[in-house]
Formats: sequence, C-alpha cells, structure tokens
Amino acid sequence: MATAMTGRGMAFLRTIPRVMHSRFQVLGPQQLSCLHTSTSLESKHWEKRNMKVYPPQKPDDDRRPAEIHHSRRQIKYSKDKMWYLAKMIRGMSIDQAITQLQFNDKKGAKIMKEVLEEAQEMAVKNHNVEYKSNLYVAESYSGKGKYLKRIRYHGRGMFGIMDKVNCHYFVKLVEGSPPQIEEKTSFDQAKEYVQNLKNRTIIHSL
Amino acid sequence: MMNIAALVNSLRCSLLHIESRLLQAAGLTLDRQLAPALAVNGPSLLPQLDREDELEEQQSPEQSPGLLDGILWMAAPKKRRTIEINRTRRRDETNLLKVKTNIEPCPECGHLKQKHIMCGFCYAKVCKETALIRQQMTAMEGGPLRAPTVETVVLYEGETPSELDKDKRIVERARKRPAWFN
Repeated sequence: MATAMTGRGMAFLRTIPRVMHSRFQVLGPQQLSCLHTSTSLESKHWEKRNMKVYPPQKPDDDRRPAEIHHSRRQIKYSKDKMWYLAKMIRGMSIDQAITQLQFNDKKGAKIMKEVLEEAQEMAVKNHNVEYKSNLYVAESYSGKGKYLKRIRYHGRGMFGIMDKVNCHYFVKLVEGSPPQIEEKTSFDQAKEYVQNLKNRTIIHSL
Repeated sequence: MMNIAALVNSLRCSLLHIESRLLQAAGLTLDRQLAPALAVNGPSLLPQLDREDELEEQQSPEQSPGLLDGILWMAAPKKRRTIEINRTRRRDETNLLKVKTNIEPCPECGHLKQKHIMCGFCYAKVCKETALIRQQMTAMEGGPLRAPTVETVVLYEGETPSELDKDKRIVERARKRPAWFN
C-alpha cells in the first residue's frame, strides 16, 4: 500500500513542473515582466535595447531612423553634477554636443565626450548609419551607481558615514537632424490659457 | 550598519545625559527637557534669580560658555526642504550650464578653439619643438647653472648667422624651419 501511494505521489510530483512549464508558456512576455523574478543590480537593460529587431518595413513606409543606445557604468563622479551636463546636451546634434563638452571644464565632460565618440563609432560600424554627423542626442541622463561607504570622523567621538559616489551615464543617439523645438512666447502661452478657459462648458445645464 | 547606528544613538544619549548633568550643576535647569532650538533669554525666565544664582552664573559660563550660548542662539532650519523645492532651486535657469557661443575652427590646423584662447593642437605643436630646442641647449651647456650670458638664436637647416647674430649663442636644429616660426 505504502509503496503504491509513494509511486503515485512521485508521478504526481513529476507532473507538477510539466504543468507549471505549460502555464508559463501560456503567460505572454508582458505578463511575465511584472513577476520581477530576475532583477539584480547587474541587469543592463539599456544595452539590451540595442538588440531589439524590428520586422522588415513595407516599401511605402517612412524610413525608420536608427537608434543607438550607449552607456558607461560606475563613473567616479556625482550623479547630480553629471545631470547638468546631460541636460545641456539634450536635443543637440552630436557634433555640437562634442564641441560643447570639449570646452567645458567639468570632470564629467571629458568622460561624456568619450562615451559620445564611442557611440558614434558603434553607430557607423554596427547600426548601419551612413554619416557619422547625421546623429542627434535624443535622450541623455545620469543615474546613481553603487556607492562605497567610508567613515568620516567628527569631533567629540562622533562620526558620520561618507558615501564615495559613482554614477552611470546613458545616451541614446538617433539618426537624422535634431528636431526643431518651437519656442512659445509668453504672450502665446497666455492666449492659449485664456482660450482654454473660454472653451470650458458647463455640463448638466440648460 | 546596524551596530554603527546603535553606537551613534548610544553616544548621543550619553552626551545629552552629560549636558543635562552640567546644566543641573550650573543650576540653570528650567525644564527637564530644555529644547536647544528655543532662543530664549535666560534671566527673563528665572524671576526668582537671587544673588546666589548670579554668582553661580558668573562661575558657570567659564565652565561651558560656548555650549549653552551656542545652543540657544544658533540658526537652525525649521522644516525639511521638500524634494520639489530642492529641485526647483537646483534646476533653475541660472544654475544650468550655459551653451558656449565663442567656439570656432582654427584657421591654421582646423581643430576647434575658443576665440580668445590659442588652439590646443597648435600649442602642442609649438611645445614639442621648444622641448627639442631646450634639449639641445642643455646638451650644449653640459651641466646645470652654465647658461651663457649672451642671447640665443635658433637656426635651422641652410641658414647662416646674420650680422645681428654675431655675439649670440647659436642653437642649430637639424630640420627645415617650421612655418609658424617667424
């Protein structure tokens, strides 16, 4: 009796992974992404965006511009200080961005210039970009890297914990000329605001 | 990390205890938990100040004047600055980096330069040549502190010293004269 029970139990146990596997196959990739099964600090999502492959375009579609994602990790610099440089070059053409970084005195400017040049090379070599100047900075931002902690000695036997900061820098280059942003004058903005107020309707009224 | 936090807390508790004991010794305790953030004048809160207390006040400031005075009169923030307020201050137009408009290409080499600053490439070029000239000069002198008391002239291939170069030290360089030198 016992052996028969265990035999059936073992068979049941063997079917469980099969059932679970089939269940997971039924779940689409969108549903699986919310499970957070494999988040770790070493996940490099930004670089994986370069591996995305689109289906072939139809002959009458507009040419899809090439996108190049590049990053550098664990730069010995502060993310807040890096943000100012990243904000400066957003929306610039790559040549203008490299020029501005070349003549900026900050430490992060030299590192960012190297990253941009690497990305430009990658674009020409791997991403089928024809002209290396025909690129613009679509996205650029800095993120917090892993910090090291040290002790900072104060008076009277007190101490603080000092963070040795590191940051990441992410940049996305897109082929083409930089998009023209329309500068709205304050008068136009005011006019738009007044128009929005005038367009309001009173619901449930006569 | 937990041990350090506990240590810090224990140190802070012990220091507060020491402070309260000092205040008791000085005879100036008003409440048990005197908040250091209150900037209150001492005598106005002690209506029963006797001569003994005055004597003690005269003695106690010598023990710990800076501690008590500093606590009562220091400026301190009242509320934590929210992240929205911090962001608006950090991202204000005046704090953002400005785009430079004084960059132009160098007419000599084509590299980029700022209008009021020499081109970096041309400067490096000049530095290299002057380093070689200086090497030659040190070889001619043979040792330290042997610079001649006359002027020096650098001559390149195919050049003869002119009338003006009669009494000068001549440094010969075995290459043709670079275009930027005179």
